[in-house]
Amino acid sequence: MREQLEQLRTGALQSIATAASVEQLQEIRINLLGRKGELTALMKGLGSLDASERPIVGQLVNTVRDVIESALGGAIKAAEEKAIAVRLQSERIDTSLPGRHPLKGTKHPISLVIEEICSIFAGLGFSVAEGPEIEHDWYNFEALNFPPEHPARDMQDTFFVENNLLLRTHTSPVQIRTMLKQKPPVRIIAPGTVYRCDSDATHSPMFHQIEGLMVDSGVTFGDLKGILTVFTNQLFGQKTGVRLRPSYFPFTEPSAEVDIACVICGGKGCRVCKNSGWLEILGAGMVDPEVYRHVQYDAEDISGFAFGMGIERIAMLKYGISDMRLLFENDVRFLRQF
Amino acid sequence: MNVTYNWLKEFVDFDETPDELAALLTMLGLEVESMEKLGAGMDDVVVALVEEKRQHPNADKLSLCRVNNGTEVLDVVCGAQNFKQGDTVVLAQTGAVLPGDFKIKRSKIRGEESCGMLCSEKELGLAEESAGIIVLPPAFAPLGTPIFAALGLKDTLFEIGLTPNRSDCLSVIGIARDIAAKLGLKVKYPQTALVEGPEAVGSVIGVTIENPDICPRYAARYISGCTIAPSPEWLVKRLNAIGIRSINNVVDVTNLVMMEVGQPLHAFDCDRLSEKRIVVRAAGDGELFTTLDNQPRVLTAGDLVICDAERPVALAGVMGGLNSEIEGTTTTILLESAFFKPAAIRKTAKRLGLHTESSHRFERGIDIDNVTRALDRAASLIVELAGGVMALGCLDVYPGKSERAAIPFRPEKANELIGINLERQLIIDILTRLECLVTECPDGSVTVIPPHYRIDIEREIDLIEEIARLNGYDKIPATMPVARVVSDRPTRHQEIEKQLRNLLVNNGMTEIINFSFTAPEAAGKLLLNDNDPRRLAIRLANPLVDEQSVMRTTLLPGLLETTAKNMSFRSLDLKLFEMRRVYLPGEGEDMPHEPLCIVGALSGSRDGDGWSRPNELVDFYDAKGIVETVLDFLDIGGVTWVNDNPEPYFHPGKSCRILAGRDCIGSVGELHPTVQKNFEIEKPVFCFELDFEKLVKYSRTKKTITAPSRFPDSTRDIALLIPDELAAAKIVDCIKAEKAKEIEHVQIFDVYRGKGVAEGYKSVAVRIRYRSFERTLADEEISSLHNKIVASLTDKLQITVR
Repeated sequence: MREQLEQLRTGALQSIATAASVEQLQEIRINLLGRKGELTALMKGLGSLDASERPIVGQLVNTVRDVIESALGGAIKAAEEKAIAVRLQSERIDTSLPGRHPLKGTKHPISLVIEEICSIFAGLGFSVAEGPEIEHDWYNFEALNFPPEHPARDMQDTFFVENNLLLRTHTSPVQIRTMLKQKPPVRIIAPGTVYRCDSDATHSPMFHQIEGLMVDSGVTFGDLKGILTVFTNQLFGQKTGVRLRPSYFPFTEPSAEVDIACVICGGKGCRVCKNSGWLEILGAGMVDPEVYRHVQYDAEDISGFAFGMGIERIAMLKYGISDMRLLFENDVRFLRQF
Repeated sequence: MNVTYNWLKEFVDFDETPDELAALLTMLGLEVESMEKLGAGMDDVVVALVEEKRQHPNADKLSLCRVNNGTEVLDVVCGAQNFKQGDTVVLAQTGAVLPGDFKIKRSKIRGEESCGMLCSEKELGLAEESAGIIVLPPAFAPLGTPIFAALGLKDTLFEIGLTPNRSDCLSVIGIARDIAAKLGLKVKYPQTALVEGPEAVGSVIGVTIENPDICPRYAARYISGCTIAPSPEWLVKRLNAIGIRSINNVVDVTNLVMMEVGQPLHAFDCDRLSEKRIVVRAAGDGELFTTLDNQPRVLTAGDLVICDAERPVALAGVMGGLNSEIEGTTTTILLESAFFKPAAIRKTAKRLGLHTESSHRFERGIDIDNVTRALDRAASLIVELAGGVMALGCLDVYPGKSERAAIPFRPEKANELIGINLERQLIIDILTRLECLVTECPDGSVTVIPPHYRIDIEREIDLIEEIARLNGYDKIPATMPVARVVSDRPTRHQEIEKQLRNLLVNNGMTEIINFSFTAPEAAGKLLLNDNDPRRLAIRLANPLVDEQSVMRTTLLPGLLETTAKNMSFRSLDLKLFEMRRVYLPGEGEDMPHEPLCIVGALSGSRDGDGWSRPNELVDFYDAKGIVETVLDFLDIGGVTWVNDNPEPYFHPGKSCRILAGRDCIGSVGELHPTVQKNFEIEKPVFCFELDFEKLVKYSRTKKTITAPSRFPDSTRDIALLIPDELAAAKIVDCIKAEKAKEIEHVQIFDVYRGKGVAEGYKSVAVRIRYRSFERTLADEEISSLHNKIVASLTDKLQITVR
């Protein structure tokens, strides 16, 4: 039996040494150590030995098995490494070829800017309000202190529909609808589509605005300046200069046009800012008491501000688009760049 | 409103440069939209003396001059003949840039050095034509003085964009007043010295106002014996500088005074007025009148006319009449200065499309107290320039003179609202500088009477705005509001809109935005039935063009036009969507509905061209797949896809409507070939449309989540032979109807027609995945369940297993 074991050991080590692949080594393992393997068969024969011899031979069998196991283990590891090396050596792809991916989709730049502005204002505690685009004259003009036959109506060329309805010329009627629905405090922004009958390189008959309204006790014009400064800095960069200058809107007083330092030239003066160094981006002001009267708020108890801006203008500045018409031509070669 | 620097300076003595003044005006709310420096580049064109003049040795018509510019004597070659040694002339030195971008350089002319050019008026842009160079009077100005400064022509033109509330600034004086208030200076108002004749005005002319509600004040003066002539040069230049054409001395004075003080004036040839009488009355409906632009106008009862004893002679506040205008032969003048109500003038001007400097001012409201002051100023200027005698007195019909009410004002309220902390006295000073009458009562309260010309100041808030404006918006500190927390999360509607936009974009779709208005023909191009509700579009009363005259009831036309346009640019692989409102008329008095809709179009290659895969084209199932992705995302269950009653714009065999229960929530299909042709689309297009409002309605907000089974699965495939017209989905429905809880998933994995399958049949391969939540299913169990399902299929659907 001892010779048998010795023979087995020598033979096994020899065949392990000459085996060429992991598969062959696995086969050797099965043939020797498997359920029906040679060494297993020998181990089964231990029972027929003398009780005195059994531990010694048993010890020997274990040693031989350990030797074979260890040799096999080493050989398999080496063979595996070799196989991987061979595989890595032989497998080559051209990584310069483009990857496989579905066609890219994009949001319209108007949607992108609306989302960005809404998210900035969400951070300042403003929620989003909406209103109809086909609007009553009362909401679009009268409640906003544009009396009939008032020259201020000339500022907004209006598309009319029958029954005293019109296409809203600004998102400001959402202010009225919101204040009629709820009591202060109010803090909303209202993005939406608006219309004016005007069409050329800088005017589109349909465009978009975002309206903002904050009404509470003790809100000041300085607060308006603060909110708009934070907003423009977030939208255009931390150090964007902001300038408010007096203006007029029937529904705010005091009113302001808000300029930012030209994002193209940094305020030095260029074609885009007409050499002024400033770009007008929004209109704003303190809500006029006349507006409060229309929504049954008491101007002595509360105060607030409103502001409105054109989305197209901001999109054009942000993305350096020079012709507004590109935004509505829907040419995918343009849209896919966003 | 155009105004020049020099003109303003006549009324306020400020030190600001033109650039500084522009910034100051803009920050006062009088936005300087453009600035034009007159005489720019002409600083090197100076007054000079011809010290020596002799013949050019090589040219008969040229002379060689030695010209003194005050600092040196230069050689200049000149071709003009109209001057002599010792004359004072105008020298353009090297470096000057004359009109037409003509740069003056040192040069040699026929071998002789020339260091400049002696100029004519034409070369300086001062005249259309000129014979020879300018010869100035001796000692006109010190040698070396820039000529534009010496002639008083160096000036800056400001174009100011006025907001409609600032009618008081539609005059030079008005703007000067704001500058003075800002800088704490006094306005120097023009002084009028009236020289009147002995004849009383009332004995020559008469004025009657029939409609004092529209014309509360009408004043007139009478001048006789004047001579109509061209205006003097200073007047022509002044008017030209702000873009007004000179007519004659009388008309120019009315324009000058209007620009100066803001009061529109009109001069009538008084001899042409019947009975030398003025009657202000409402026009009759259909009354005809020819304005001085020689246009016949049909008037309505709302219009106000100025008449003589017989007929209209002017359209009040808008334009004078051809029948009474000043002519070369005019010798007597009735000069009108009146106040007309803004709304009436605006109505007339708007209806006739006649926008004049006069109507612009009346529409915005002029200063009723200024009527006679302006009249006196204009009348005395006319006498000064056209001669004649002014009748004694002013005929001033002003039946209901009213005083301005005092406005209660709280200085602390101004601080509070603006967010500043100005001293009470400073606030009162600011109002006083604005020519307000401020009264401080012993109890500490303040009342303010604004100046008569500031018709925009009526309320406390108007005064507060003035404080903010004059003190400067730049001095207001930026603060963050201390406010109560109000934060509503986005509505479900808003959230789903945003999520779906993201979902579609992440599925390769590109968002488009089309105009909300479309052409009335769009419905026809979609082959909509005559009674289709989508034909009932809301119409615009005043569309810009017919193609944009109705509000869209469906997003499809815009989508299809966009598709066609992109294809024409050779962008053939398209995946487009639009998520916007449509506009449906309300019932009766109701407001229109504006539901949000989603449409999509797919065409061309599925994944774009590439080296790594066959270039497959999109088909119906790509469009349906997008819809399924949306429905799955929103967890909308129980959806059926029905073929009957297809949308008219889709291929009837390759489209279906999408039902949630019995409610149609959208449709998907290949575009009908006729519609494809109507929209000039080159390639097949697969579209879907979804009713966003219904998606929100059927979307399940709470998803039910189950823990996955821990036991192994087992799959079985069946190939079934079914008639072509039988919907394959029926097989899946039938299997699911068995409600065996061991069926985890059913999937159609192949559909085959052709060799081995009889004509009119298709082979559908279905894979069923079995799995239990409780244990590992035995082979025999699965087989028995599977056989039962197959039997049920063959039984219920009358189909055979292949």
